[in-house]
Formats: sequence, C-alpha cells, structure tokens
Amino acid sequence: MMDPVLMGLGAVIVMTAFLGILRIQRGPSGADRMLAAMLFGTAGVALALILAEAAGAGGARDAALVFALLGAITAVAFVKRAWGAGD
Amino acid sequence: MDFARIALTVIEYALYAAGAFFFLAGSIGLLRFPDVYTRLHSLTKADNLGLGLVCMGLAVRSGSAIVALKLLFIWMLVLAAGSTACYLVAESARSAGIEPWTREARR
Amino acid sequence: MTVAFDVLLIGTLLWIAIGSLSEAKLFKSVVMFVVFGLFLAIAWVRLGAPDVALAEAALGAGVTGTLMLDAVGHIRSRTTPYPLDPGEHPAEGEDDDV
Repeated sequence: MMDPVLMGLGAVIVMTAFLGILRIQRGPSGADRMLAAMLFGTAGVALALILAEAAGAGGARDAALVFALLGAITAVAFVKRAWGAGD
Repeated sequence: MDFARIALTVIEYALYAAGAFFFLAGSIGLLRFPDVYTRLHSLTKADNLGLGLVCMGLAVRSGSAIVALKLLFIWMLVLAAGSTACYLVAESARSAGIEPWTREARR
Repeated sequence: MTVAFDVLLIGTLLWIAIGSLSEAKLFKSVVMFVVFGLFLAIAWVRLGAPDVALAEAALGAGVTGTLMLDAVGHIRSRTTPYPLDPGEHPAEGEDDDV
C-alpha cells in the first residue's frame, strides 16, 4: 500500500510541474520554454525518487539519474542547435 | 526507541513540507518573474533546494546508508547539470541580445 | 491521496499531449513533446515498470527530443526568420516565429 504522505507530496510536485506548462505556452522566447522543460526535469527526478520509496522499487532511482542527465543534454542541444537562426 | 522513531518521522515530514514549499516557490517564480535571467534564478536555486530537501527526507525515511548515499549523488548530479544548463542558457540569451530586466526600463 | 496523485498525473499527461499536438509553433510543440516523454516515464514508474521508464526517458524524451530540437534549428536556419511584411515584426524579446 502506498504511503499517503508520500503520494500527497507527489501530488503537490505534479501540481507545481503543471504550472510550468503555462510558462511553455506563454513564452515569450525559446529560452523561457527550455526553462520550463528544465523545471519538469527537476520535478521528474523528485517524483521518481518519491515513487521509488513509496512502491519499494529501487530501480526507479536509476530512472531518476537518467532524468537528471536528460535535462542537461536537452539544454545543451537547445543552446547549440535550436537557438537563433545561424547554425 | 519509540521516541526516536517519532522524532525521525517529525523530521522527515518537516523536510517534505520544506521541499514542497521550495518547489512551489520555484514554480511560482517561473510564472511571475519578469525576464529570462530572473526565471533562471528562481528555477535553478529554489527548485534544486526543494529537491535536496525532499532527498534528505527520503534518506531519513529509508534508514539505509547506501540509499542515502545514492540520493546524495543524484542530488549532486542534478545540481551540476542544473548549474551547467543555467550558465549555457543565460550565456546564449545574453549573446542573443535579450536585455536584463531593470526597474527603470519598466517605467 | 494515491487517487489524487493518479488523477493529477493523468490529467497533466493528457493536457501536455493535447498541447503538443495542437500547437502551431514547432519549437513549442517540441518542448511539449520532451516534457510529455518525461511525464510518460513517471507514469511508467507509477505503473511499476522502472525499466520501461528508463528506456522511455532516455529514448523517448532524450534522443528523440534532441533530434527534434536539431531539426527545428535546421528548419529555422533555412527559412526567413520573420514574415516579409514589416508591420508583422515581433518586438524585441517577443515571441519567436518558428
């Protein structure tokens, strides 16, 4: 059975991530949208760790590690490739 | 024995509450701040601190040194990745000509 | 609380999916897609499949998202950044075109 305190904390973090969607839709520049994606990366790490603890599945912590790497890689790809008109 | 367990639970819940507060503060800052640089500030400071507090709470809960060490390493990886990404985004925003927000420019 | 968490997770997932598909601007859509991959991975963890979550995060959000960002950069570098009508120019720091 899932611990209700942990799931409540998870629900709060999902809600904060939901606020990030508004920033993606509002913009205005591409960097702001990338920032919202980075917010989702941090929230994703926290959610994976909480779920790992609540469900007793240690493998989810490795998924959290991948999330942490992913945020950096996406930001680098954005800065090097998708920002501005020139290559 | 019983008292120690209650104290640990109280500490754990307090850490969760503080972490949730900082997550919320980071998201509200991302929504409310006026330009890219201030939003970067709210995101990379407040959110990573919230994650650290949640990690600490989970480490207290798990009661195992290995798991606590792993949580610490995950947090440090997030910190390193977050500051690197923050620097890159701020640098490229600066070179793309986005001016930092000032109180005078708003009037 | 578990039910609240699940409802919030599913609602956010659906909201991001709809936003990603119905978005006219390519860059916004790609960012939404990356975020969708992250949340789908969280949903896999919640369903008790951390291995699938790992693959989804690394491939679905990471590799595909990076490739799509690269593609957006290519498209942007080959098209005119602004519409030809001078009245349509976005102001400084305003919304990107692609």
